[in-house]
Order: sequence, then structure tokens, then C-alpha cells
Amino acid sequence: MAATTESVKADAAEAPLLNKRNLILGSLLYIIFYGWVRWYEGVYGWSAGLDSFAPEFETYWMNFLYIEMVLEIVTASVLWGYIWKTRDRKVLSITPREELRRHFTHWVWLVCYAWAIYYGASYFTEQDGTWHQTIVRDTDFTPSHIIEFYLSYPIYIITGVSSFLYAKTRLPTYQQGLPLQYLVSVIGPFMILPNVGLNEWGHTFWFMEELFVAPLHYGFVFFGWAALGVLGVVNIEVGALSKLLKKDLA
Amino acid sequence: MSASQSAVRSRAEAVKVSRTFDWMILFTLFFVVLGGYHIHYMLTGGDWDFWTDWKDRRLWVTVAPIVSITFPAAVQACLWWRYRLPFGAIVSVLGLLLGEWINRYLNFWGWTYFPVNFCFPSNLIPGAIVLDGILLLSGSMTLTAVLGGLAYGLIFYPGNWPIIAPLHVPVEYNGMVMTLADLQGYNYVRTGTPEYIRMVEKGTLRTFGKDVAPVSAFFSGFVSIIIYFLWHFFGRWFASTKFISGENI
Repeated sequence: MAATTESVKADAAEAPLLNKRNLILGSLLYIIFYGWVRWYEGVYGWSAGLDSFAPEFETYWMNFLYIEMVLEIVTASVLWGYIWKTRDRKVLSITPREELRRHFTHWVWLVCYAWAIYYGASYFTEQDGTWHQTIVRDTDFTPSHIIEFYLSYPIYIITGVSSFLYAKTRLPTYQQGLPLQYLVSVIGPFMILPNVGLNEWGHTFWFMEELFVAPLHYGFVFFGWAALGVLGVVNIEVGALSKLLKKDLA
Repeated sequence: MSASQSAVRSRAEAVKVSRTFDWMILFTLFFVVLGGYHIHYMLTGGDWDFWTDWKDRRLWVTVAPIVSITFPAAVQACLWWRYRLPFGAIVSVLGLLLGEWINRYLNFWGWTYFPVNFCFPSNLIPGAIVLDGILLLSGSMTLTAVLGGLAYGLIFYPGNWPIIAPLHVPVEYNGMVMTLADLQGYNYVRTGTPEYIRMVEKGTLRTFGKDVAPVSAFFSGFVSIIIYFLWHFFGRWFASTKFISGENI
């Protein structure tokens, strides 16, 4: 009886397997932040974003660009540095329950990555299409680009690399080497950002009508395929979780 | 870790943990596939999908199935061949359509004021159901590629017909005969309009329907078969669980 009571107390004091608070707050962070960004676009896209030579463009859009770039570099440095610095140096000796808990935390990161990829690759990328069909571009830093290329893409890169780093530094599953498809699913979408260089170079060099299916954009397509690397990540995770739960589910 | 230790306290907890992971995995898979599929589709067939005046009887019918069968084939290669889950195609297409509808409403309409009946996305659901159905019934990748791929191309136009038909009726405007969709396009001139006129509105068989759409659908189905094969093997590669040595990179 006493032993049971002690066990119950230990369970009650123990951290939950899935930290639902982090899951909800992580998701809300993306939804609320991007909701605000969309509001900003709606107001200042039309009122200050049509002419890149106008003073208000500098105020509302170029300053937005400068600020976001600084914040992204700081966030990436702090977050990646923290995850690496606090890494578990005895990761192979953790208990199965702790390993299960860390898998849950890893999946909180992956859910955040899913939000980040959705907003970057889907929401703000197609939004850029309708902006270009409406506004004649006179700068590489048109409002939709300042959000799409230089905000939403860095954010999914920061989230994806954080997720990868968490797995690599805290989960025994990932100690046997570098998981190829995890690398593909993080580095592929990352390569979309450098590909912006090709895109902007092309749009500067050729006078083109706005066509989303233009071959100049195929670099984005190629690196977008890398998102399918998530299939490999899911398979690795299912394998690891099966090992942890198999005998209890049998 | 010790193999004798258990990660969970009871079978009930094991079941709960397993179900929770199912939901987190499905959510992540859905939205990451949505993102990759959407950026692929919008940049390979997007212009045909964005606007009703691009939704013609020839190129839209040809291009949309060919470029959209890709991700369903790859996701099927993982979900069916590893887990016997028969919804790889439909989950991909539902993801794509969710991303598109949110965008068309909140951005095409909400930001740049194109009416939704001018910029709604193509319907890919019938083709996805056929792909999943054939794979489920046959269990064969080859049959799904050949029959499913062909059917995917063939069913695209009929699957969209109830939506697009009212916009393909002929109208006379300033002495010119055109479709109602063309008229929408002339009223909403976009920066891509000249390209649209060059690419879509040409061809010796340009008509209001007749032979052009079925011929295009057959051609599209033929190419879709090849693309399905290709992307099935892409999917298998992406689903691999290989680890590489850090020394190799």
C-alpha cells in the first residue's frame, strides 16, 4: 500500500508525457503572429506598398525588412545555440519513459514545423501570386516578398533546424548517424531561400509578364519536393515508438 | 536504456500514447505535404488553376492532372506500402485544396479583390478517390499507375464540368464571340494577361468544347501514367529511413 502511494505521488510529481501547454502555445504563436502579419499587409500593402520610391515605402516596408532580418538572426542564434548548449551528453542512457517524453516534445516541434511550412510554402507563396498579378513590380522587395521570402521562409528554416537539432541532441534514435530524409526535409526547404537569389536575378534581368508557372520558378518547385522527406521522418519515428510501446500494446 | 523497463505504466496508457501520436503525426504529415504539394502545384500549373479564363478546354485539361498526380503517388507509396492506409491520394488532395481555398478567399479575394467565382481552385477530388480506390481494390502499384493514372486524367474535366460549365457558355461582346470566363478575364486584366492570350487562346482546334477536351484528357491520362510511376519511386525514396555517416557530408 505504502509503495503504491509512493508510486502515485511520484507519478503526480512527474512531468506529463505530452506538454499540452507547449503544443497549444507553439501553435498559437504561429497563428496569432501570422494573423497580425496578414493584417499589416492588408493595411500597409495598399497604402504604402505600391511605389518603392515613395518615402512611406521606406517607412512601412523597408524598415519592416530590416527589423525582421535582425530578429531572425538573433532568434536563430539564441534558439539553436540554446538547444545545442543544453544537449544531453548521456543520451543513450536515458530511461524508456524519458525517451517517450522526449519523443512527444520532438513532435511538438514537428507540429510547429508543420504550421511554419504551411504558412511559408502555401499561404504566403500563393498570396505572392495574386499580388504580382495585381501590382506591377518595381523592386525585388515588394511587400509580398518582404513577408514571403524574408519572413515566412526564415521562420520555417529556424523551426525545422530547431526540430532537427532537438532530435539529434536528445533522442537515442538519432544517434546512429544523420537521418537522410530528416536532412532532406529541413535542408530542401532551406534551399528555397538561396533560390530567391536566382528568382530575383531573373526578374531583374528579364522583362517578364507575371506567370507563376514560368521556368524561372522551377527551383522553388524542386526544393519544395524535399518536404516529402517528412515521410522518412514519420517512418523513423514510428519505428522508434513501436520499439518503445510494442510489448505494452501486444 | 534497459530493455526490461517499460515506457508506459499500463496498457491503457500505451493505447492513449499511441493514439495521441497518431493525431500528431497525421496533423504534421497533412500540413507539411500540403505545403510541399501546394508550392509544387502553384508553380507548375498554378496559372491554370487561379483563373477561370485560363481554365480552357485544352491546356488546363492537359496540365492540371499531369502536375497534380505527383504528390498523391508519392504519399501512396508510403502510406499504402508501409501501413496499408488507403488514403494517400485523398489526404494529399484535401491538403492542397484546403491551402488553395484559404488562399483564394483570404488573399485573392481578401487582399486583391478578385471575386471568388473568378479564382476558385480546380476540383481534384474525383481523381484522388479513383486512385485510392484502385490501389485499395487491386493492391497493385502497376495497375494503379496504368488504370488509376489514365482515369485521373480522364475524370478531371468531367469532375470540374458542373463548376465550369456555366462559365463556358458563349457570349457576344463588342462583336466578338467568347466565353463568359473570357469576359471575366477581360474585366479583370492582370499583369499576366498577355501571356494568357499567347498560351491559351491559340490552336487550330480552339472551340467551345467538342473534340478538344476529350483528346486533351486522354493525352493527360497517358502522361499521368508515366508521372505516377516516377513519383511512386520518388515517394519510396523519400520514405526511406536511411542514416548516413557525418563523415560523408
